[in-house]
Amino acid sequence: MAYLEIQDITKEYDNFTLSASFSVEEGEFLCIIGPSGSGKSTLLSLIEGLDTPTSGSIILDGKDITSERIQDRNIGIVFQDFTLFPSMNVEKNIEYGMKTEKKADRKRFASNLLKLVGLEGYEKRAVTSLSGGEAQRVQLARALAAEPKMLLLDEPLSALDPPLRKSIRSAIRSIHDTLGITMLYVTHDREEAFTISDSILIMHDGKAVAKGNAEELYRHPESLFTAFFTGEGTAIPAYLVYENTDGYLFFRPEDAVLSEEPLDPELYPMHVIFNDLEVVSEAFMGSGYLLGMEYQGYPMLSLSHTKPRKKHVSLMILAASMQNIAQ
Amino acid sequence: MKEQQAYYTLRSLPGILILLLLFLIPIAVVFSYALSDNASALINTISDSYTYRIILFTVTEAGLSALIAVIVAFPFAYIFSKYTFPGRKVIMTLSALSFTIPTILVVLGFVIWYGNNGLLNTLLMRISGSKEPVLEILYSFKAIILAHVYLNFPIAFLLITEAWTASSDVAEKASYTLGKSIRRTFFSVTLPSIKGSVISAFILIFLFCFSSFAIIMVLGGNPSYTTLETEIYRRARISGDTAGGASLSLISFAITGILLLASGYGRAKIKTERKTRKLIKGRGKTLFAIYLCVIVMLLFLLPPLLSILYRAFFTKNGVFTLRAWEEILGGGFGLISTAMEGIVMSFVIAFLASAAAIILASSMAMLSARKNSRLMPFLATLPMAAGSVTLGLGFSMLAAYIPHSSTIVSYLLVFLAHLIIVLPFSIRTITPGARTISPTLSLASYTLGASMGKTMRRVEMPLLRPYIKKAFAFSFALSLGEVNATLTLSDGHITTLPILIYRLIGSYDYQGAAALGTILLAEALIVFAIGEKGGNNGIS
Repeated sequence: MAYLEIQDITKEYDNFTLSASFSVEEGEFLCIIGPSGSGKSTLLSLIEGLDTPTSGSIILDGKDITSERIQDRNIGIVFQDFTLFPSMNVEKNIEYGMKTEKKADRKRFASNLLKLVGLEGYEKRAVTSLSGGEAQRVQLARALAAEPKMLLLDEPLSALDPPLRKSIRSAIRSIHDTLGITMLYVTHDREEAFTISDSILIMHDGKAVAKGNAEELYRHPESLFTAFFTGEGTAIPAYLVYENTDGYLFFRPEDAVLSEEPLDPELYPMHVIFNDLEVVSEAFMGSGYLLGMEYQGYPMLSLSHTKPRKKHVSLMILAASMQNIAQ
Repeated sequence: MKEQQAYYTLRSLPGILILLLLFLIPIAVVFSYALSDNASALINTISDSYTYRIILFTVTEAGLSALIAVIVAFPFAYIFSKYTFPGRKVIMTLSALSFTIPTILVVLGFVIWYGNNGLLNTLLMRISGSKEPVLEILYSFKAIILAHVYLNFPIAFLLITEAWTASSDVAEKASYTLGKSIRRTFFSVTLPSIKGSVISAFILIFLFCFSSFAIIMVLGGNPSYTTLETEIYRRARISGDTAGGASLSLISFAITGILLLASGYGRAKIKTERKTRKLIKGRGKTLFAIYLCVIVMLLFLLPPLLSILYRAFFTKNGVFTLRAWEEILGGGFGLISTAMEGIVMSFVIAFLASAAAIILASSMAMLSARKNSRLMPFLATLPMAAGSVTLGLGFSMLAAYIPHSSTIVSYLLVFLAHLIIVLPFSIRTITPGARTISPTLSLASYTLGASMGKTMRRVEMPLLRPYIKKAFAFSFALSLGEVNATLTLSDGHITTLPILIYRLIGSYDYQGAAALGTILLAEALIVFAIGEKGGNNGIS
């Protein structure tokens, strides 16, 4: 049995219903991603106990915690907002949830945790004097001090600058690897989810629509939503290529090779060839140009190292890298 | 979270119960008098044209006082929200002091400073060589208005200045870039943005003056200057027409209730803007003009209070004396001989009433903030609507039912009356503080395994502390200076500091009144300092 089991959980609101079923292994780093309003944070608050589900159950470490009080769940959380207690200094904040009563142990533990989050010597600082990044590190240390069974992080970095975000997220990952603690990390940042996680759960309209590791989800998406949510791409009706085939064919821009000369399909049996595409946009991305093209009224994307000189071009895509997606 | 709300509801129950009981029982007793005998007293009062004259006078004096206070405050608010200069903060703090200055001190200060034989007239007579008083202010309608403006001008000044300083000046600058004049910009851009605070200042002052008591009783000095509150007192305590007083109470309750509800619902929501106004540093001629205004303001505000200090040590003819102080310490006869009792009892009652109020109000404020309930503000409004004279009357009628000869029972009733008067103010002071505590903060504490009790004790209360301190100071000052209810409830056994001052003014012992006034002023200052020390906690 998995460490965390979310079994047919639902939460009904007036105009929104959340439903999800998934499991998380012990020590797994799961990222929950999805657009705004897809139910990511609601899911987290159900697990944490901040809210109660309408139906379904939550099993943690073999124990049904669905109706347990927040206090008894022993699940740590790092909020997006500033939730450090302003009346206490950094050390007191961290010691607040500690289980041990011995003063010396508490102090040592706090100092070790501060070292772990990279804030050595911050014990006596007032929490109101911390920067955004420091405050989030202290929140992390405070949550870990309670020795939780699992740690939830609700968009902990979304209020920070991009460079700071990068450094703290790698710190979070290394803390995960050091302690081996199970982490559920909510973010709306795809790149963040890709770089930090073991696996990713995608939420859409209140439903958990896909779960897998980053590469699986990117390379072999099972739905158009997952395909487009995990990165740029092109979806065209399958019958344009294969007769009597339903659904869509999906490919990534980097899989579509550009040619300024027309291509003969006979010469490339392993590939799907599109001739006579009109280039409608060119965006320089640093690593190359993202070209927007039109083929029989359908938009297509390709990543090219060079900027095409011609207005009309051809594309070739390895047939194996094209996904047939039902919907 | 339901569990959390249940916890706060449970913790608030004693407060809600006490608030309801202390309000409902005396009010029920008062109204039972008004409605007994087929409500004949009430019908008589309603059909009496005199009642309408009193109502008209009350509304007129309150409206005029509030209007003048706001108008006078405006130019000062303009200066203080446009310029920064050395001493600006001190003046602002001094103005806030007026919230804790007991009304009876204003009455006393006015009598000593503006009286026909007062210090100002003595000074002016000496300068002009006249044998008659130069300024005849006291015991007239203008004395009432002047005292009300004196007492409430700082409130208008503070409220308007705070709103004006907090409003961004970006829109004004935008208006100038569009070629609009300063005058046009003021009326179309600035005024609308501070309108809310101007209106709430007006309503607040109107309500204070509507229930004004000691100022009307002493400084009006003429039965034709009778407000609803003073008439209730006169009928019930002087003429012995309890049913008549009770009927007027009912009418007063209805009017104030409607006013309070209207002001509560009509109040504009204060928008907090991201950018506040950048104050200009006052220099050269501007600075000179600013200080001139400040001096004018201080010349209006300080002399009455300072004259209390002066008269505590000097006779009318300017001879230094410690007579009053010796009498207070036990060498006197008559009224002044009870001074020590008054000082001690006032302190004890104020301390107990405000301690009880903040204990009860803290939980109620947390419940109110977490549930975003309208019930609590409504409950807290009820005693205010009833008015302290009515509550005092209710408690005194109640006392008649309880056979007692011990003064302890009398003091207990005063304590309860003070508690019901200060409790709503405590709730109103602490609730905004409770609203600043993010619910997520409490949730964060629960996720760390802390119980509701530990969370309240270690996370919420420390953040509430500055507001609790303010509420305590405010309640303490209010109870310390309470005259209306205490005088109505008092049966001669009770001696509190302001009641004693009130009686000493009545028997023309200004020296004694000033000495006690100095003690009251000192206590008010200490309490004010404690409240101010609370300051603002760094809550983001």
